[in-house]
Amino acid sequence: MSAAPILQVRNLRAAFRTHHFGVRRDVPAVDDISFDVRANEIYGLAGESSSGKTTLIKTIAGVIKPPLELVGGSARFAFLPDCESLAQASPAAVAAIRWSKLAYIMQGSMNVLNPVRRIGKTFEDFALRHIGSAGDFQQRVEAHLQRVRLEPSVLRSYPHELSGGMRQRVTIALATICAPDFIIADEPTTALDVIVQKDVLAMMRDIQGAMGASILFVTHDMGVHAALTDRLGIMYAGRLVEEAPTDVIFRGALHPYTRHLIASLPRIGDRSERKSLTGVPPNLANAPPGCRFHPRCPLAVDICRVQAPAMTELATQHRVACHVVTGEAA
Amino acid sequence: MGAILKDLLKYNIEFRVGSMLIAIVLVMSALSFVSPYPPSDTFVVAPDAPPSAAHWFGTTSRGQDVFWQLTFAIRNTLAFGVLVAMLSRVLSLSIGLLAGYKGGWIDRILMSVNDTFIVIPLFPILILFYFVLRDSMSTLLLAVIMACLGWAYDARLIRSVAMSLKAREFTQVSIYSGMTTREILVREHLPYVMPIVFSTTMNNMNWSIGLEVTLAVLGFMDINSPTIGGMLYWANQHTAVVAGIWWWIAFPIALVVAAFVGLFLLAVSMNEYIDPRSRLARMGGGAR
Repeated sequence: MSAAPILQVRNLRAAFRTHHFGVRRDVPAVDDISFDVRANEIYGLAGESSSGKTTLIKTIAGVIKPPLELVGGSARFAFLPDCESLAQASPAAVAAIRWSKLAYIMQGSMNVLNPVRRIGKTFEDFALRHIGSAGDFQQRVEAHLQRVRLEPSVLRSYPHELSGGMRQRVTIALATICAPDFIIADEPTTALDVIVQKDVLAMMRDIQGAMGASILFVTHDMGVHAALTDRLGIMYAGRLVEEAPTDVIFRGALHPYTRHLIASLPRIGDRSERKSLTGVPPNLANAPPGCRFHPRCPLAVDICRVQAPAMTELATQHRVACHVVTGEAA
Repeated sequence: MGAILKDLLKYNIEFRVGSMLIAIVLVMSALSFVSPYPPSDTFVVAPDAPPSAAHWFGTTSRGQDVFWQLTFAIRNTLAFGVLVAMLSRVLSLSIGLLAGYKGGWIDRILMSVNDTFIVIPLFPILILFYFVLRDSMSTLLLAVIMACLGWAYDARLIRSVAMSLKAREFTQVSIYSGMTTREILVREHLPYVMPIVFSTTMNNMNWSIGLEVTLAVLGFMDINSPTIGGMLYWANQHTAVVAGIWWWIAFPIALVVAAFVGLFLLAVSMNEYIDPRSRLARMGGGAR
């Protein structure tokens, strides 16, 4: 790929650190993660609940506050090249890029609209300061709403007067009004039914195509990833275990965790039983040594129990962190 | 807003009765502007006359027309209640919103002040103020003192709402979008707590009017400006009950009770409008 990365994440570590009654607890929720997001692509992050997806993107977006702390590594945006990570950037620098360059569609985005403010007021509250001129703001908002197929009349409505799908579209319009270069979307479609979801996803693709933004899209819903993302990173217990173009993940995943994840998806016409993995995801406060997947891994060998596997590029654009897989390939 | 009022008038008997009583009280206080007698003049009419066509509510032993005297009294008393409510709303809103939103040591300091005001016994404090200030005690000064004493309960209520608002997604997005604390509190959180403020305002007015009447009846007030309590004070001074001048006592009491009940009913119906669950319960629906 020739496009330069718009986001470079290198060895990023973040942990929840608490200090109560003399007892220190460290929960490494994001552990040594590296990946790139290229300009104009949709990068998906998948993983089960508590695998650290939200923590990772919060760290990237710089919206971390205690007990979550940045421990090490960097997350560098192309539009802010001098800055190691937003968590360390000056407030002025962060304020300058937020919304205008970096939009963040938060988890539970159905509720980002204040129930007692009209939609138009919410647009003014959140976006006006980032656009600067008040003169053509109204026209700009209406034109942008048209892009997500909403009537200008929604600006006079309260959130409760809109349907879930409309609210979702308002949220997306709100996040993209300033034509940001990078959009972080944290499970924006989770609360919607599949029909509305399909609609919203198609729209996100349209907007992304029209504005040339990159999206970092996080959800545990593999169906959404299949429909939307260009490349996919799989997270397990705070680490990235596999990364490849989305179709490669679905057709030829290498990591045993990813393989189980894909195998668990229902397929039309396939009547065979779906096997679930034994065990549960590890408690990150007391993570297993070595590869964090080894207690549940059917392929685990001795080295998995002592040494954490590094991400290794096995084929072009296909990286895996697994001793067994990379050992076989080598 | 108009549609809401219409609905409330149509379906809510409390609101209907409450607004009727308040309307009577407001008309009374408006009439003070066309009163034929200045409020502080005495012996302008024949004293101790019972209610008649000429003097609807009778006259006092001080030679004042009870009806016209009452229009001034209720106006001053209402104005006092409104003033206390406004001032204490400003205090309770700013302190409640700030404490709830900021949390941490700001919350702890503000709430310890708040709790102090909650446990202070009000009545002895007010009497103390009167004995210290004596002649310089005016209605305005008393209103300010009462406002400074009457914000604490509602600040706690508003704080609890603000704490829940703080955790909502729209607050997170507001922070992310770069809004300042003041903007978040005023633009995002204030509209949310306004209905609660409306309802507590009326209760606060009831509380302050009640205390004002109590203090004035006992004479711990500027007794020369006509208020409901002041009228009752003078009636007692002239032993109106013993002398059989019942109209001097009965009409002020009736009017202030009307104001009380009216405000209370408005607060109750407003509450019901704010809380859909109690509306549902009244309609016979909801969780049982």
